[in-house]
Amino acid sequence: MVQDLLQSNPGWGQFIFFFITGLVLLLVVLGFVTFSILAERKVMGFMQNRIGPNQVGGRWGLLQTVADVLKLLLKEDIIPKVADKPLFILAPVIAFAPSFMVLAVIPFTDKFQFADLNVGLLYYVAISGLTVFGILLGGWASNNKYSLLGGARATAQMISYEIPLVMSVLGVILLTGSLNLNDIVHAQEKAWFILLQPIGFIIFLIASTAELSRTPFDLPESESELVAGYHTEYTGFRWAFFMLAEYVYLFAMTGLITVLFFGGWLPLFGFLGFIPGSVWFALKFCVVLFIYLWFRSTFPRMRADKLMEFAWKILMPIAIANIMLTALIKSLFF
Amino acid sequence: MTFTGEFLAFMILALVAIIGGVLLLNLNKVVHMVVALIFTFISIAGIYVLLSAEFVAAVQILIYSGAITIIMLFGIMLTRPYDESEEKGSRWRKAFLFLGVVGFGFAVYIGIYNFPIDQVPTTLHENNPMQIGKAIYSKYLIPFEFISVLLLVALIGAIIMAKREEKGAEEE
Repeated sequence: MVQDLLQSNPGWGQFIFFFITGLVLLLVVLGFVTFSILAERKVMGFMQNRIGPNQVGGRWGLLQTVADVLKLLLKEDIIPKVADKPLFILAPVIAFAPSFMVLAVIPFTDKFQFADLNVGLLYYVAISGLTVFGILLGGWASNNKYSLLGGARATAQMISYEIPLVMSVLGVILLTGSLNLNDIVHAQEKAWFILLQPIGFIIFLIASTAELSRTPFDLPESESELVAGYHTEYTGFRWAFFMLAEYVYLFAMTGLITVLFFGGWLPLFGFLGFIPGSVWFALKFCVVLFIYLWFRSTFPRMRADKLMEFAWKILMPIAIANIMLTALIKSLFF
Repeated sequence: MTFTGEFLAFMILALVAIIGGVLLLNLNKVVHMVVALIFTFISIAGIYVLLSAEFVAAVQILIYSGAITIIMLFGIMLTRPYDESEEKGSRWRKAFLFLGVVGFGFAVYIGIYNFPIDQVPTTLHENNPMQIGKAIYSKYLIPFEFISVLLLVALIGAIIMAKREEKGAEEE
């Protein structure tokens, strides 16, 4: 149905249809963000022998994040006097918009996808790179040393880790012969790419953690050195937008890993095919998400100088070797 | 002229690109200029999408987002914070500049308006990345290899220059 709509003449009908589906996706994502923050706090709590939020909304603290968001929206909106006002306002928008744009290409099931692009994977990488502007601008516009340092760190880190991130998926692209995410899922009907590309998967997981700037790689917002990094001066809903962008990226990156390495909506075994694809996608999604939450409560933060060395001297050579190996395997066995 | 979605999209993208370019020249702070530049580059990528060159569009954003951030970082590091450039030039000079711009625009308009462009039916919109790959690795293989050698030379040159500077600093 979506395919027909995409190729028909433009009109108000399509506009309203896409607007409403986009709005629904936004609400779903907001719901995900709410509960992934709660899940993160709960998982971290259990791993550190604590209980975690348990007051608001029953024993499991189900309404804790909702209350937090309400508090943020009610807060006074402060713009520092010496800040660069237009950019200070624009920066959270620039940071958030691409994080929602990348969701368009992720195929949640074989029918539920917003844009079936031929260059889907490249689109994801390219658009997600735009968030760096928002972070750097936010850091600069705050007119605060710590913010600027956080922004500069985020820029260096995101640009450096984008290279191993892209190189590690080149193996997947080589085996599929396409950049289209639908084709990549269909190519995994016999075996998931985590089995064929274990090295690529590990590099991708590490580099994506750095791209999301989550712990071991959360230097841009390390609270013990930089107060809070690029969003030190932000309060209220502007700050909420930065956080929202971060968690929407978590959603998108988890979805992307599910699609690239865990076979997307495909069932685990052929005889389990009666379970709908959306359930499979959700299950795999939760497993990958749990890995990210697990990382956060397990690893200490890296040192700034080790961080760059790790990207350029360890991850990148391994990624290049992985491409060579994949090309060799493909020409010999496929 | 029929009013299609493509026309609407082109007008919006072209307007944003041009306004971004004009703002780049007129704004006072370096970082503001770079933000204007971002809008120009992204809307040019959008125009590539309208021309069914999705691959080029994605690469445009991928490459330029890195490049612009570097420019922005240099802009931040090499200029004083909140430094504003001053306006120079007299009224006469501005008037002459305006005349020159109008003349140039007129000449380009005349040149382009009657320029014969043959519409050749192509299949570029089908599987665009694969077609680019095939063209690069068969028809344009040698230029492609030359470019890679050139980039390698530039990379090694940059490394050598950086190293030498470090040594000089140690001797001092």
